[in-house]
Amino acid sequence: MSEYTLPLPVMTTLSKEYWDGCKAERLLYQHCRNCDEVIFFPKYLCPNCMSHDLEWLQSSGRGKILTFTVTYESAPPAFYAAVPYAVAIIELEEGFRMMSNLVECDFEELECEMPVEVVFDAVTDEVTLPKFRPAAK
Amino acid sequence: MESIRGKAAIVGIGEVPTGIYPERSLIEAAVTAAEMAIRDANIPKEDVDTVIPILVVANNIDNANMICSQMVEELGLGRTAKANFLVGSGGSSSANALKVAMGLVTTGLSKAVLVIHSDRMGSGLDLALAIQQFASVAISPEYESPYGFSQLGLAGFLQQRYMYDTGTTERQIASVVETLRKWAALNPNAMMKTPRTADEVLESKVISSPVRKRMMNKLGDGAAAFIVTTAERAREYTDTPAYVLGVASRCTNFSVTQGQWDGFQLWKGAARDAYEMAGITVGDIDVAEIYDAFPTFILMSMELLGLCGPGEAGKFFEEGHAAPGGKLPISTNGAMMAQGHTGAGGGVAILVEAARQVMGKAGERQVEDANIVVETASGGIGMDFHVGVLGREV
Ligand SMILES: [Zn+2]
Repeated sequence: MSEYTLPLPVMTTLSKEYWDGCKAERLLYQHCRNCDEVIFFPKYLCPNCMSHDLEWLQSSGRGKILTFTVTYESAPPAFYAAVPYAVAIIELEEGFRMMSNLVECDFEELECEMPVEVVFDAVTDEVTLPKFRPAAK
Repeated sequence: MESIRGKAAIVGIGEVPTGIYPERSLIEAAVTAAEMAIRDANIPKEDVDTVIPILVVANNIDNANMICSQMVEELGLGRTAKANFLVGSGGSSSANALKVAMGLVTTGLSKAVLVIHSDRMGSGLDLALAIQQFASVAISPEYESPYGFSQLGLAGFLQQRYMYDTGTTERQIASVVETLRKWAALNPNAMMKTPRTADEVLESKVISSPVRKRMMNKLGDGAAAFIVTTAERAREYTDTPAYVLGVASRCTNFSVTQGQWDGFQLWKGAARDAYEMAGITVGDIDVAEIYDAFPTFILMSMELLGLCGPGEAGKFFEEGHAAPGGKLPISTNGAMMAQGHTGAGGGVAILVEAARQVMGKAGERQVEDANIVVETASGGIGMDFHVGVLGREV
């Protein structure tokens, strides 16, 4: 396996819990026990009620494409060799949104609202990136 | 509390041409624009007792020097100035600086405030660094950066969803570029004055789908300035003040992922509040100076401003209504797509253009009876939305 050269996520005490979940192929999001808010990106306190009583829950990994773009040129420098690639905002069925790449698909067939499911890509020994592919029919 | 509707005014404006000017230093451009604004306002420079530089993007030392009162020294304001401080919120810095200036002059804390932007995005920044910057700022390092998103991707995301939701065609989006180039041809300070047809836009290759190369802006060097004072003082200095009738805004998110993917419903409140403060309805608007960065954002903003119904903005442009001679002139300086992208200066340029139209100083592109002009700005990666209303009369 050649060395992975694309940017890796910045690890904080908070983000590490999320990325540890991905490494175990579990897509985690936060839930507020106080007000029932679904929270993502992970936060230090509930953005709805300011409670610290937050728990991690596991997402089904099923969702839909809210929007996407296929980058052919003018990618960030680290991604010059990766073009073309698809970036998307995914809305998960639990009601939170995340950014990801769309993989295992024909870029020409992508469209908004298309159902997708998570696949885990272990890019290094430490980091596994959740990505999405069109959902099995 | 009493409304500050019409209590403050823009009394002077200045601007240097946007483009690639390697010989023109940042401070030379800043001093030139500031001098033009002071002379345009016909104001004794001693009355300018507060200087608000706008965030400089291309070079952080230049930015720090602007913070450290370089303009106060250059303009010889050291005996009379009370304060110099930076306002920075990316593309919306203009609108936030206007609000701060209004607060300072209407409370009597300042006599007159100079807002000054200068940046060298065209020649003061090497391309790789520029792309790196647009690939890191306002992008979550924990949850977004591994996926290759950049600010160009924002244009792709918005255009993709906007076309899906409204049925707007690619040609209609291309016609925004055609229209802005027509305005830029009439603007001596614009960078891209040559005509560009919608067909030519559609011939260019896809860079970040569905955005094509000719739907992207170009970086340039530029500087612009404006002076704010009270309405009472304004009448002592000038016969053509641009009164600030309404300002309102919404600030909603940091990352694009957690942005307003519901047609920006919250942002409509900014337009509603600004119109209410100004005491106008949408039908009163003579000119709309709409912040862009890329064409789709103008179309979306038109709907947020209530200037047309959902999905109708593209047709409006395609039919020529936003162009010179059209029924509602839009972004008459050519906006960033045609005047050029100067960092945080796109919003300053559009606000200065709004004041220019109200003052009747827009030369060949002057819109007749520009009594009420609305202007907008947005910062970050779609983090906020600002609406201002300027008028000839209070
Ligand atoms: Zn809560």
